[in-house]
Amino acid sequence: MDGWKMKPVFLGIASFAIILLAWEAAVRLGWVNPFFVSQPSAVAATLSRTARSGELGHNLAVSFREFVIGYGLSVVVGILAGALASRFRTVEYALDPLLWFLYSAPLIAFYPIFVLWFGLGVPTVIALAFLLSFPQITTSTLNGFQNVSPGLIRAARSFGAGEMDLLWKVVLPASVPTVIAGLRLGIGRALMGVVVGELFGSTAGLGYSISYYGGLLKTTDLIASLVVIIILGVLCTQSLSALEARFDSWRVDD
Amino acid sequence: MKLTYRTLVSTLAVAAFLVVWELAPRTGVVDVTFTSQPSRVIAAGLTIVTAGGFLNDVSVSLTEFAIGFGLAIAIGVPLGLVLGRFPVLRHLLDPPIMAIYATPHLALLPIIVVWLGIGMQSKIAVAFVGGVIPILVNTTAGVREVERSWVVAARSFCAGKWDVFVKVILPAALPSVILGIRLGLGRAVLGVVVGEMYQSQAGLGNKVMRYGSEFRTDYLLVYVLLISMFGLVATTAVRTLEEKLWTAGK
Amino acid sequence: MDARPVVEPVPHIRVESLTVAYEKPHAADKLIAVSGANVEIARGTFVTIVGPSGCGKSSLLLSIAGLVKPAAGCVRINGNPVSGPGRDRAVVFQDFALMPWRTVIANVRFGLELQRLPGLTAEDLTARARRYVELVGLKGFEHYHPHQLSGGMRQRVGIARALAVDPEILLLDEPFGSLDAQTRDQMGSELITIWERDKKTALFVTHSIDEAIFLADQVVVMAANPGRITEIIPVSLPRPRSVETTDSKQFIEYRQRIRERLS
Repeated sequence: MDGWKMKPVFLGIASFAIILLAWEAAVRLGWVNPFFVSQPSAVAATLSRTARSGELGHNLAVSFREFVIGYGLSVVVGILAGALASRFRTVEYALDPLLWFLYSAPLIAFYPIFVLWFGLGVPTVIALAFLLSFPQITTSTLNGFQNVSPGLIRAARSFGAGEMDLLWKVVLPASVPTVIAGLRLGIGRALMGVVVGELFGSTAGLGYSISYYGGLLKTTDLIASLVVIIILGVLCTQSLSALEARFDSWRVDD
Repeated sequence: MKLTYRTLVSTLAVAAFLVVWELAPRTGVVDVTFTSQPSRVIAAGLTIVTAGGFLNDVSVSLTEFAIGFGLAIAIGVPLGLVLGRFPVLRHLLDPPIMAIYATPHLALLPIIVVWLGIGMQSKIAVAFVGGVIPILVNTTAGVREVERSWVVAARSFCAGKWDVFVKVILPAALPSVILGIRLGLGRAVLGVVVGEMYQSQAGLGNKVMRYGSEFRTDYLLVYVLLISMFGLVATTAVRTLEEKLWTAGK
Repeated sequence: MDARPVVEPVPHIRVESLTVAYEKPHAADKLIAVSGANVEIARGTFVTIVGPSGCGKSSLLLSIAGLVKPAAGCVRINGNPVSGPGRDRAVVFQDFALMPWRTVIANVRFGLELQRLPGLTAEDLTARARRYVELVGLKGFEHYHPHQLSGGMRQRVGIARALAVDPEILLLDEPFGSLDAQTRDQMGSELITIWERDKKTALFVTHSIDEAIFLADQVVVMAANPGRITEIIPVSLPRPRSVETTDSKQFIEYRQRIRERLS
């Protein structure tokens, strides 16, 4: 019984609408204490207020800049490292323990060390965002380069492809879907790095603002910033998912 | 362990790193306060382990993790099975679940502290939130992706709905459930550690922040490494379980 | 037929005591795929290789293609030993092996791009690729991507790609293995029609006895454990062949003979 074949977008909007309505109703009916959860109407009002006052814009800009630099760095370094590791086995084997460690260990625990090196504030946040997302991108790039369908490589060889030809005409295009998947996963982790880095010791940014208002127990302001973070996270992930889908046809069906 | 080129290079890389780490501060290239040294870290480690209070921190963190992650499994798996079984519910709950998945779960820390205070409850809650979503999503996916042909085959032997569920769908979905547990594990550990770093009275993360602010790098690193090791061991354990299941399921 | 001697002093392809072995993942010894194969193939003949799974027919073909190095023995083309892939040979693969990110025409052009023949511009290559796209009956589909095509169409692209580089020898490794029965028959007939144009030397691996007889001037029968050639049967059915040919007494005799060989 699949009568729910509506477009996912409509379903998503409907779902959120129901949640918002239930939330607002629960508070107004006195079922829940607004101190703990605030209400959609209050949050919306706060959002428009902070948007107009420029506070929202400022926090957004700070966080966004940190994210772009940290994530951007990890994309460049990650793809380079992954490419080198796929070409030179020695590089791969030497990087292996490092990546394994960075991947499995709770890296945010290194936050105080970063504070030691870079001081409180923006550079530490960038460092955290970089460190959290770079292993993911490196691993995905390495995988993408290494796991090119052997059938394609054999076919290219049969037509006389040499090393450079193989790299440019087969390996690079074939690895695109996997690399993009890695980029998508890396975004979530970089965002986490930015938010948590700001949580602990910043003077501006979205993470800072939720920590600040949390400390003052001003739930509405806290939730307002939290909502912005959630929307950002969803937007980033969705857009990269869309990009991934665009290149999905480049995958070889095995 | 076979002495392959791979293990050789990897081991040499780690060894080289340790050597550089030890010697660099000695030669004055870096300030030892910023990086510490393996020798100091080991010494600090011994001091910490033998001193009192260490076990208390460990038990606090472990308890928070165990309860939080345990709850995540206890709620995530059944809920995932239900959502996988009833498409209507799934379509309705999918968007908010995906939205939470896309969000850095640690951003929820401040609001959780507002709700639950700075005691162990807030850390348990963060561990729960971090762990439950991947478990939920992967369990649901596991149920949905059970090969139709197996279900049809079971039905052809007059298996009722309950039998199909228990004898076909559950075992078939198990690898995905374990995968979800592995993915959730890292997030739960992160939740406990960062929660303790943010606001707490005890625990390993708490010590990390304390020693960090006191510039006691060697002590700091002991705790950081302890936490890392726990994360690694737990993840490896689940990975091994996963591999055993994959080969068994073939 | 033009005035060429029936038997050439040097055969086009000559396989001498060819042995192909593969490493076993968890054992010290090797898997012998082909053991001591000997066969001579004359220019312009269409030869099929038939046998059960594991008889080494693909390994034999890939050795001739230069994609697999023999453990012993050698393959000679025009008397010269094969040391790797070359311009004189082109392969059509069972899994099509098309680049999913390239359009049909870009895929057909792929081999030409790699050849780097001097004096040819990109437009020349595209024009040439287009001729072959039309030849295999895919006119109008030049800008489609492989995932938008059926299995039969994808293999036509594979055939066009191989023909586009104008090889002396066409090597086909179970090219229709992934297709359904009707498409197979149709593609087989079309392949022969295209082949009749230039009459290149062709080697065609299959596990279907009927397909092997229908297409071939010569059938190489192989057996497994170890992989080896057991018989080489000349097929003297007249061309062009059609569905009626498969009902003829001669065809049935060939089929009987090969079937006995294989059991």
